Amino acid sequence: MMQLTRRQTKKAKSFITHFLLVLWALVCLFPIYWVLITSFKHPIAVFQGPKYFPWIDFKPTLDAWIFLLSGPTSAAVYRSWANSAILATTSAAIAVIIGAMAGYALTRFRFYWPGLKWKNNNIAFFIISQRMLPAVVVILPYMIMFRIFGLIDTHLGMILAYTVFNLPFAVWILRDFFAGLPVDLEESALIDGANRFQAFRSIVLPLAAPGLVATFLFSLVFTWNDYLFALMLTFSKASTLPMFIAGEGTQSYGPQWWYLSALSLLSIAPMILISLLVERYITRGLVVGAIK
Amino acid sequence: MKNADVSMGGSAPRMFMVEESPPTKKDRGVSYAFLMPTVILILILSIFPLVFSLVLSFASWDLSRLEGGVRFIGLQNFATLFSDTRFWNTAKNTVYFVGGAVALQYLLGLGLALLLNQEIRFRRFFRVIFLMPMMLTPAAVGYVGRMLFNESMGPLNDMIKHLGLPIVPWLSNSKMAMPTLILLDTWEWVPFITIVLLAGLQSLPPEVFESATVDGASDWQILRYITFPMLVPVSITVILIRALEAFKLFDIVMVMTGGGPGTATETVTMYAYTVGMKSGNLGYASAIAYSLLVLVIVFSMIFLKSLRGHAAAAEG
Repeated sequence: MMQLTRRQTKKAKSFITHFLLVLWALVCLFPIYWVLITSFKHPIAVFQGPKYFPWIDFKPTLDAWIFLLSGPTSAAVYRSWANSAILATTSAAIAVIIGAMAGYALTRFRFYWPGLKWKNNNIAFFIISQRMLPAVVVILPYMIMFRIFGLIDTHLGMILAYTVFNLPFAVWILRDFFAGLPVDLEESALIDGANRFQAFRSIVLPLAAPGLVATFLFSLVFTWNDYLFALMLTFSKASTLPMFIAGEGTQSYGPQWWYLSALSLLSIAPMILISLLVERYITRGLVVGAIK
Repeated sequence: MKNADVSMGGSAPRMFMVEESPPTKKDRGVSYAFLMPTVILILILSIFPLVFSLVLSFASWDLSRLEGGVRFIGLQNFATLFSDTRFWNTAKNTVYFVGGAVALQYLLGLGLALLLNQEIRFRRFFRVIFLMPMMLTPAAVGYVGRMLFNESMGPLNDMIKHLGLPIVPWLSNSKMAMPTLILLDTWEWVPFITIVLLAGLQSLPPEVFESATVDGASDWQILRYITFPMLVPVSITVILIRALEAFKLFDIVMVMTGGGPGTATETVTMYAYTVGMKSGNLGYASAIAYSLLVLVIVFSMIFLKSLRGHAAAAEG
């Protein structure tokens, strides 16, 4: 039997590693590829069975995109896309601002709540535990409260709901981030006569910019991707893209694949762009550091 | 019943604690000005709804006649729940999904993290691609899943046919539908486990591995007796977080199967939604939602308790 040298073993191992990595990369990409090519298929071509390669086994067409962006449903498409964008950016921004303040407070001041015997770590855990509980428990009361206060199907109501949804995550990540920032700079600003808010705004926040951006992007993704809140709390004026996708996808006449693929891409594409942006932060261990 | 969150807050697990740079100043007024906006928002829009929901679970209230008012009926909702076979079926489905999905995702995530932790080319490229699925809108992913797993026109069965194997009834068979959902959820969420475990691997001290290699330990021995035990704490955290999310399963099922075939993939959250929104029975829906909350809390406690012992043993 042939004896493998150490170098040969190493080479074989490296080959298997790369082979497996490429295989998983294909698994990750195939569904995205599939939805992309389906959006360029002719309605009839979809029903002729699976076709894999444009120009080779089917002729690509822009029909689905033209229908999506100028057909009878186009107004609803634009509206839900705009709603998703408005709700996600606004609530993510508010959650980051308020969450940054709380995260800062939890790393720089000592709290003690005698009644509950809670210190900083207990308060922080109390805040993050709000994110872990099943959302359906709070959504039913939301539905009733929103109806009573006229907030149902409004932007204001959804921004409130999403802000509170994102807040625990923002506090959690940013607390970890502030804990890693040196306190010397703000201390010297405080000695020079600045008050806490000035020190926070002009020294701490600029230093924390990468953390703020990452938290904002993650909150944006969570909100953009939400379906449950939108389904329970909106129906037309403030309804979002996932609702529109789900609504069209479950029509009784069966899904119009070509059209729904294009629609799904409207929702997926911005998230692919954001995932290219946030990969940097994850690599730096920022977010993961907070999870550990 | 005591509010579950308060009791959870009382005993924060070690992994959620931050120890670096301890609090310095004691200026109370300013400190509360920073903290209060968050606390007030959470009290109004998280704690109050939780209590509201708990109260509702002992009441009868119709969504279509909110003005008609609340009528308290004691434990009747929970008595109904206890003998509601549809509810127990959704509970069983949810637990099945959580168990299957989290186990599969952890195994794959661990494998991928180990691969990515080696000397590889195009590391950044692989990492970007591997990360992508978890960022995508679940409603859209559920729809893509419906296309991929379509039995007559989907690409998966087509490829299976080309391999000469019998086609799979992915979504039409009530025994297959849940495994299919698990597969789709795994596609979306393996990235999360991979990145956390990869960070865990990269924070391990390299000296240990060097001395083990010098001592002639095989790759398998290093993984089994050195790497894996050191990864246990991170693994507990990541499994817990993923399981808590998986218990909430809603969007991909709604789009992919709508709970079907029959009620084979209906989850607790879906059932609460159907009872609350479609039938308008707010009290009963709250009882269903609360039982999910209790299920999640009991699971977390048992999980943390039973595994913390193991973690301590592995560390010691």
